[in-house]
Amino acid sequence: MLANFDFDVIRRSLSYLFIDGMTFTLTLTALSATGGLIFGTLIALMRLSGYRVMGWIAGLYVDFMRSLPLVLVIFWFYFLVPYIGQWVTGSSRPIKVGAFASSLITFIMFEAAYFSEIMRAGIQSISRGQPAAASALGLTYAQTMRYVVLPQAFRNMLPVLLTQTIVLFQDTSLVYVLSIPDFLGAASKVAQRDGRLVEMYLFAALIYFTISCIASYCVRRLQSRIAIIR
Amino acid sequence: MIEISHVNKWYSPSFQVLKDCTTSVAKGEVVVVCGPSGSGKSTLIKCVNALEPFQDGSITIDGLKVNDSKTNLPKLRSRVGMVFQHFELFPHLKIIDNLCLAQQKVLGRGREEAIAKGRKLLERVGLKEQAEKFPAQLSGGQQQRVAIARALAMDPIAMLFDEPTSALDPEMISEVLDVMVDLAREGMTMMVVTHEMGFARKVAHRVIFMDRGEIVEDAKKDEFFGQPRSERAQQFLSKILSH
Repeated sequence: MLANFDFDVIRRSLSYLFIDGMTFTLTLTALSATGGLIFGTLIALMRLSGYRVMGWIAGLYVDFMRSLPLVLVIFWFYFLVPYIGQWVTGSSRPIKVGAFASSLITFIMFEAAYFSEIMRAGIQSISRGQPAAASALGLTYAQTMRYVVLPQAFRNMLPVLLTQTIVLFQDTSLVYVLSIPDFLGAASKVAQRDGRLVEMYLFAALIYFTISCIASYCVRRLQSRIAIIR
Repeated sequence: MIEISHVNKWYSPSFQVLKDCTTSVAKGEVVVVCGPSGSGKSTLIKCVNALEPFQDGSITIDGLKVNDSKTNLPKLRSRVGMVFQHFELFPHLKIIDNLCLAQQKVLGRGREEAIAKGRKLLERVGLKEQAEKFPAQLSGGQQQRVAIARALAMDPIAMLFDEPTSALDPEMISEVLDVMVDLAREGMTMMVVTHEMGFARKVAHRVIFMDRGEIVEDAKKDEFFGQPRSERAQQFLSKILSH
């Protein structure tokens, strides 16, 4: 049966798959994770701020994002952003947003909802004596968060944040709905061009599996190291 | 230095933790606050630098009113050192950085100056060699001495101690008390919540006894240990001094 397969198609398309496809996937993953973490932290701070309206808005946002399938958000956002941009800037025509920018904004917004819950748990895991000690030294609320609470929350939650990033790495393949050549999209294009669907999709699965496995292993090692430090 | 006047605090309308507390701490005075657990002594000391809000009365430090929305609380707190029961060192920072953080961010000292000051204070509490370690690598007694050094790095006008030895193993209590005794003898203004009556006998000028949110007794040290006026203070003393 294997005789019918042509695995050479993989070798021939390697540079396209990795230099174009995987670079895009990794860039999107890294930027989305960073942006999602920053916005997620802001949302978490809003929820814990004690101001009811801010907490309510942040809670609503998180619930909303977590109740929608990601692929739907990507899809809708791609079609809506030009019109939202038009409305915001007041221009006469829908503004142009590239598929990359659109998918990046979507992922940041979507991941922010998940990262915010992780950071909220992280902040709540810090004993109340820590901010009290920081205040007693004269640090302001912002300084207390910046230098005392958030670094500890981030460190405690680092394994969970990285695990969520691995999930994100796999989820970025959903940009195929926008016909963007990420790694899976590139593999899919070659597969259809050369009629080698089984080979290419097998190979793509193997690559996602390998990268995610290695990353998970590294996270577990990191986790045990952090456990020792604490 | 510290004026506490008719302070009332409620956790809920039916639960009053502080009842009409009035006392003061003069410059250079060492005042020990004692009493059974749940008597409100920790709450009172936390009210002094506004870590706990209170509903009624007033507290002033060096002429500045603590419970006034116009008061710059971070600035006021930076001038009053505080030491906690559970040390509360910042576990993600090295010992020296624990001492430098507030010096740099609050007082605006340069890195070099902050480090020099930090090292001097570490030497003073006998922990010069531990500067590059992390808090978790130190024993409880060492951590508490670092916490005292961290507070002193801000050049405070007064120090508040909230049960500084209650979380320590017995053999570590004396190393912390030694540092506090030195501090008291140098004339630092101190308000100390503690059960260490030996410390109180040695350096306190006055002893305040609290029970159920009230200041029951506020007396000179010798009067307090010699013949406490209230029955509750007598019972308390006989219990903790009987062993």
